[in-house]
Order: sequence, then C-alpha cells, then structure tokens
Amino acid sequence: MAVNTLFFRKTIMASTGLFLCLFLIVHLSANCILVLPEETARQIYNSYSTTLRESPLIKIVAYLLYASIIFHTIYALLITIRNQKAKPQKYIVNNTKANSTWTSQNMGLIGVVILLFIVIHLANFWARIKLGIGEDVALDSSGHLDVYEVTYSLFQNIYYVLLYSVLMIPLGLHLNHGLKSGFKTLGFYHKKWTRIIARISLVYSALMAIGFGIIPLVVYFK
Amino acid sequence: MEITFKIWRQNSPKTKGKIEAYKVDGITEDMSFLEALDHLNEQLVLKGEKVIAYEYDCREGICGQCGIFINGRAHGPHDHITTCQLHMRSFKDGDTIIVEPWRAASFPVIKDLIVDRSAFDRIIEQGAYISAKTGTAPEANAILIPKEISDKAMNAAACIGCGACVATCKNSSAALFTSAKINHLNNLPQGKAEANNRVLKMTKQMEQEGFGSCTYTGACEVECPENISILNIAEMNARHTKAKLLR
Repeated sequence: MAVNTLFFRKTIMASTGLFLCLFLIVHLSANCILVLPEETARQIYNSYSTTLRESPLIKIVAYLLYASIIFHTIYALLITIRNQKAKPQKYIVNNTKANSTWTSQNMGLIGVVILLFIVIHLANFWARIKLGIGEDVALDSSGHLDVYEVTYSLFQNIYYVLLYSVLMIPLGLHLNHGLKSGFKTLGFYHKKWTRIIARISLVYSALMAIGFGIIPLVVYFK
Repeated sequence: MEITFKIWRQNSPKTKGKIEAYKVDGITEDMSFLEALDHLNEQLVLKGEKVIAYEYDCREGICGQCGIFINGRAHGPHDHITTCQLHMRSFKDGDTIIVEPWRAASFPVIKDLIVDRSAFDRIIEQGAYISAKTGTAPEANAILIPKEISDKAMNAAACIGCGACVATCKNSSAALFTSAKINHLNNLPQGKAEANNRVLKMTKQMEQEGFGSCTYTGACEVECPENISILNIAEMNARHTKAKLLR
C-alpha cells in the first residue's frame, strides 16, 4: 500500500483519532474518582494507578497511546502541508461562515492548542510519576505512589485549574468534528447512521469537555 | 442600481493579477449576475478598455461553466445555485461586490475570472465511463434497479463539474466531484464490472492533479449547485478501501 496517498494519511488520522477518543472515556472514568471524599478518593485513585502501572496489558495500550498521539500529530502536519500547497492563493474575501462551522475550518489550529495542553499535562503528571522528573512522589499509607496527592496539590493552584478547564473547550470542539468525520474517512456512509454518529459525537464531546473541565474545579473547591 | 464591482484582473497565467474597481450604473435587479458583467463589459468596450474575461455557456444552470467566487462564496450568496442563476436582486443599490476566480493550485487562472479546469477532465478520463459498447438504448425494464439505488446514482450523476466544491474547500479537495463521478456508475449494474478499477484509477488521478484532502467542513455540499451529498465522499472512501483489499 502506498503509504503516501491521501487515503492512507487520512486513514491514519481517523484511526489514531478514534483510538484517542476511546482512551479519553477510560481517562475520564478514572478522573471521576477524584470527586469522591478525600481519603476514599486517595485510596481508590492510588491503588487504581498502581494497577495500571503494573499491568503488562496497559503497557501495550500505553505504547499504542504514545504512538497514536505522535502519528496523529505527524500526519496532521503532512496533510496540512499538502493541503496548503493545494490552495496557495487565498481569497480576498472568504465567507466560510455561510457554509461551514468555524471548528471544521480550524481543526489544525485547535489541534495545536490541544497538543500544547498535552505537553503541559504530561509534564505535570506523566513526567513526574513515570519518568521521575522533579520532586519525588511520596507513598500513601498502603504503600502506593500517592498520585492523588500530585493531582490534588496541582489543582490547588487556581491558574492551573483555570488552564485545564478552559482548554477543555477546544478539546470538545475538536472531538465533535473529529469523531463524526473520522467515521466518514473510514467509509461510513449510511445516511441514517451518519446522522446518529453525528449526534453521538455531539453528546460524547460535550461529556468529555464538561467532565474533564469541571473535575479540576470540583477538586479545587473540595 | 449602482454597483461597484471589485474584480480580479489578470492578463495571463504567468502575469500577476490584481483587484480593480468598476462603478457601474444602470443595473436592474432583474439582470442575472452574468448580464450585469455583460453590461459592465459593454461600457468597457465603449471606453476602449479590455473586457473582463469570464466563462459561461448555457446560462440556465446546467452546464457548470460560470464558476465565479462572489463576495466570499462560490456562485455568490445563495446555497445550491450557479452564477448564471444568481440575480442582481440579491444585492442592494450601492453594494460593493468582490469578484474572484476559483482559487486552487490545480485550477490555474488563464485570464481574469477564467480558470483551467482540465484537471477534472483528466480525472474523468480515468474511468468515469463504461468501456463496453452498449449499442442503442435497451428496453427500459430489461435491467431492474431499485428506486433508492437509482436515486442515489442520480444524485451523484447530477454533478455538472463546475468546480465550486474545489473552489470553496479550504484544501482545494476534489473529493466531492470525484466521488460523485465514481458513485454515479459504481452504484449501477452497468458500472459494477469496472467498479474497483474505476475508484482506484480516478482517485489516483485526483491525487496526481494536486488536489488536497477532505476535512469534512461540508462547504462543498452547501455550494454545490446540484446539492450533491457529502456522504458521497464517505462512500468513495469505503469503495476505495474495498478496491484496495480486493485488488
């Protein structure tokens, strides 16, 4: 298969994107633990994260996840370069509002914002817990790494809380357009089902944006 | 009505173009947009200036020649029409109208508002036809086709190749055009025999012509004079994957 065709590139975009969408469901479910009363949350969250770190299956999933983020980014870049070349001269006036949504016209820009968020997010958690960069993470009373404390203390800083919450808006927009379009890229063309998928995308992206956005606020005000 | 046209003027593919303004009086709201341009051209002839070059043929919305980008939209301010079907009653007295040619690397400007759309012809040449000799028209009921299939094929077949989809697409993707041409035939029994080859060859040509990829903004579907569904693109993707796997 020619790896440079438009179809191949878009298929990579869609499949990595859809995998990331699945991952976010699991991620948000875990985040819900954070809103429980403090000690319960600490216990469940820490033992859950220990289970994840020690599971060989999760290790495979984690590598798939890294690969998905990297490939989604690289292919977005390749596709964008090619698309820019296809329209070298822009219109003096272009009324895109009349025929399409702002999100659909700016997926790349929104993607860059989300990528920046992911970098900050990984630096805050992944680098500290998985790579051991920065301050050592303490153990809780059951001997698990106290990941809850890392999260809790980060979300005592109102600037981080606001940053996390506000950046979930572009995430929601990106997911809404990405999810329903990903299915079209993969060849879902049934009239009724594409409509249903569009509705699912809207509900899914709203749930993700609101869910991820509100939990840091709840933790801050707990 | 008095209208100020700001029109892209470009002498040849190689020269640089620029926007020039023309104040035109005596336009009536019953004029089509093309008639308003004719009116302007008549005045330019009297002044001994070069007329504005633009394409047209049927002037009844079926040939797809009159592709012009008007006030930021392909074929002007309405959904699903051609430029010749746009009338000056859609504008107000004293309006300024920005008139540009289609913009796409694969549609180079020839002169003023005329672009070279032969990239579409080369995609067509790759398989938007049936190679068997069919003779005279067969008896209508000899090949039965379910209504919903024939409707789908007809929706795709309605494409007049105007290029509005490419013009409005931020990536200059020709996916709506190519998918319409593919699905028109691949949905019908007559087109099935060459279905896989058709989708592979036509999409390959589409790519070689330098068109971008589809991001599903949906703009093409809105600007398409024939209201061709964007689901045709998803269907083309499915047919492409199937053809790749079965090759």
